[in-house]
Amino acid sequence: MSEILIQNVLQELPESSLTTRLLSALDYIVPGEWENITSFEAMIKSVTGEDDQAIVQQVGERAIALYADASNGYQRAVQIFRLIDDTGGLAGAVSLANKVGSSFELMSFLDRVTPKADTTQAIDAGVKLVGELAAFCYCNGLPGDSVGDFAESLLTYGKEDAIRLAAYLACDCLLPLGPDFLAKLTEQLSARTTDAFREHSRFSKIASYLPGGDIEEKRSLILRNVESAGSSLQQFVDGKGMTRESVLQRIQQGLEIADDKLDYVAAGLDITTSYFEHTGIQTVCRRLVSRAYGEI
Amino acid sequence: MKRKHESPLVFLGAVSVVAFVAMLSPLAGCKKDEPTRWDQASSAAKAPTPPPDAPAVPKTEGGALNKFFPADGTDGTKRVFTQEKTGFAEARLSREGKDVATLSISDAVNDDAVKAKFTGVADSFKGNPIVTVGKNQTAVLVKNKYQVKVSSQSLDADARKAWLDKFDLSGLSAL
Repeated sequence: MSEILIQNVLQELPESSLTTRLLSALDYIVPGEWENITSFEAMIKSVTGEDDQAIVQQVGERAIALYADASNGYQRAVQIFRLIDDTGGLAGAVSLANKVGSSFELMSFLDRVTPKADTTQAIDAGVKLVGELAAFCYCNGLPGDSVGDFAESLLTYGKEDAIRLAAYLACDCLLPLGPDFLAKLTEQLSARTTDAFREHSRFSKIASYLPGGDIEEKRSLILRNVESAGSSLQQFVDGKGMTRESVLQRIQQGLEIADDKLDYVAAGLDITTSYFEHTGIQTVCRRLVSRAYGEI
Repeated sequence: MKRKHESPLVFLGAVSVVAFVAMLSPLAGCKKDEPTRWDQASSAAKAPTPPPDAPAVPKTEGGALNKFFPADGTDGTKRVFTQEKTGFAEARLSREGKDVATLSISDAVNDDAVKAKFTGVADSFKGNPIVTVGKNQTAVLVKNKYQVKVSSQSLDADARKAWLDKFDLSGLSAL
């Protein structure tokens, strides 16, 4: 049974890990927005600014009850954030194996059974964005296909949402796909058949959380979401001055990575970090506490 | 179980290292069941909900509450709706990207504790009882049903009250 106590879900997050080091390295993109809050009480104080212990208690108890009621959608949002990261780093493993296969002729058999890196990364990036959309809708109580509301909200993202978006654009878009990531995403996603989606591990894991009856409808939602959110994503990248080089440099410094091969680094990050899950849980907890504070 | 201070991994060997770490992680530590301030709420959350003495009155859908919020652009602020759940709607007010306040309307029809907070309150605002909660919230109860709140870590009580005035409270009371 999955954990139904939000304070445990939050408090199980690491205080320090590769993920937190990655996020700290990317803090320059959205300075000061993200703080690694892993204590339930600290989250309540951050959201409310209240020191009165009776109020903190009341808010906390209300938030616990709201999360435990699955019909409120917060548990689903957490599940989605976890599933976005939980592929056993498959896309990363596949492209790393591909690279090793072609560079060193090791595991070269993988070349025959694994898709090329750009394809995998493009579907991955599309699936992660649609996962963010689905979690956003469950968390906020909107219909699951509210792509317009989602696209608009991206530019007002703050706190954990802002650093997650920055990390997504850095690690899943700019690093593996380059500055023209949007064009590549659209091109690759449009060119893929429904079979390619069906066989994509990350997609198949979150497919049941997406609106739409069959794979084709879900695939079309992914495309529509990328197209709709595209200008917000580009605006974010341009507005924050994010470049492939600056992002790589900061990540190399923050994580002490000597390798400067972009696809290696992107693949390695995908395997070793879980920034959607980490910041997603913080997002859900913040929303819950905010609602509890509004309701008490 | 809280994982702390993981060491950086060498990316080239990441696949095997991660598999190895995954094998070890169940041994990395264990959480003791020490008493916490949340234990009572946690037990209640895990327990099956007892049937209510009287059927609960259905709450208003969050989407029906949105139109009573201050309009987007009021006093140069941007208003973004952040939650729309059954019996609850919430919006964030910001100015030039900085948070100004969180606005919310909740349906307290079945919530006696909330209603009790307003019972016997001397102050009123446009005919509705008004209270200050902690140091950062001001709330009114409309029609003994809808709790309207302005929460802010930067606005004082008067400024919060001024934002309450920008809600359509009379419209809400007619809902």
